Amino acid sequence: MAGPSAKLPEFLARLAESPCCAAITSDGHLEAALESAVAALFILRGDGLELRPLVRRVHAAGKLVAVHLDLIEGLRPDRTAIAWLARAGVDAVISSHGQLMPSVRREQMVGIHRLLLVRRGLLDSGLSAVTRAGADIVEILPGVILPDVCSLLSRLDVPLLAGGFIRTEAEARAALAAGAAGVTTSTESLWRARLA
Amino acid sequence: MPDRPAPRFLLPVFVGSSGRETLAGAEALEVGVLLRDLDLMTLVGVAEAGPEGIAVDLDSVDGLSADDAGARFVVGKLGVRIVMTRRPALAALVAEAGGLGLVHVFAFDSTGLKRALESHPARHRVGTVISPGPVLSHLTADDLEHLPRPIVAYGLIDTPDRARQLLTIADSVVVGPECARGLVGGTWVSR
Repeated sequence: MAGPSAKLPEFLARLAESPCCAAITSDGHLEAALESAVAALFILRGDGLELRPLVRRVHAAGKLVAVHLDLIEGLRPDRTAIAWLARAGVDAVISSHGQLMPSVRREQMVGIHRLLLVRRGLLDSGLSAVTRAGADIVEILPGVILPDVCSLLSRLDVPLLAGGFIRTEAEARAALAAGAAGVTTSTESLWRARLA
Repeated sequence: MPDRPAPRFLLPVFVGSSGRETLAGAEALEVGVLLRDLDLMTLVGVAEAGPEGIAVDLDSVDGLSADDAGARFVVGKLGVRIVMTRRPALAALVAEAGGLGLVHVFAFDSTGLKRALESHPARHRVGTVISPGPVLSHLTADDLEHLPRPIVAYGLIDTPDRARQLLTIADSVVVGPECARGLVGGTWVSR
């Protein structure tokens, strides 16, 4: 299995400075995120075929770009789409498709594997899949319950992000205290919060 | 949306089961059984032994299609009165057939929850299952107001204390056997 992405240290260093990432679910979010203190924008909606201007703007604002390959339009979650994202200048790729993580790393991007928490009976297989995939970072959803379930995730030895239903500063701080390296949220007020 | 009383047959505690470890004492203790991750033959066998107190996760039965025919079979032929499914139209069909349809919503983030609820039938006898259950504790009053009742909390509810806390929000919880024992007491045997 290939080692971690070359971009991972930079990604984690930026998270350590500013652990809140902006989840962009509409065009209206973009300006606020660019003007905020977040280290990275997580693009969860939009046209994957027209990303390059967006990536340029985000980089010009001194921030990193992660793109959710399963949620954006226009791209199929496969190796070619990953190469496309790399060519567009994307820094990290988010996906629930673990088999794509090695391709993401080969393209010198950070691979973020989403682990969806549903119920205990499915957790073991989910953890095995995540471990097999060898992602650089695992994003836990819904991240707001990370403090409740972090003991179940002790098998994971990669940095964690917590995303989903994190809407208050207290919830963000609780997720970070539970071991998350960062949180992702679409709540704009948190993008200005000093959580580090 | 006004609150509607939960149908009487929705018990407050369900034990998740694949049918092989169905709990003989559950009925006496007024604990229901949610059958999930089982095959069609096992489902038929368990339902024929008595469909009272049984709920079925229609999307997780090997050999049974989660479609109109599958829902009609479970409700009409097997007599199961509570069916959960990720397909809102099937939950509505269950309600039309006299059962309680539960739309299974995976609540991973607020945007996804909002989208899932847009297709919820929000009609009489169609409620909502929220997975993972503990997320209910983190929903706002406004979120909860938009969840059609009855509400069932399902998944990652590991302790009786957590279950009790969730029962202050939800009408019912789905838990494992150990947790259910802690909630209602009693000694159960597999049949």
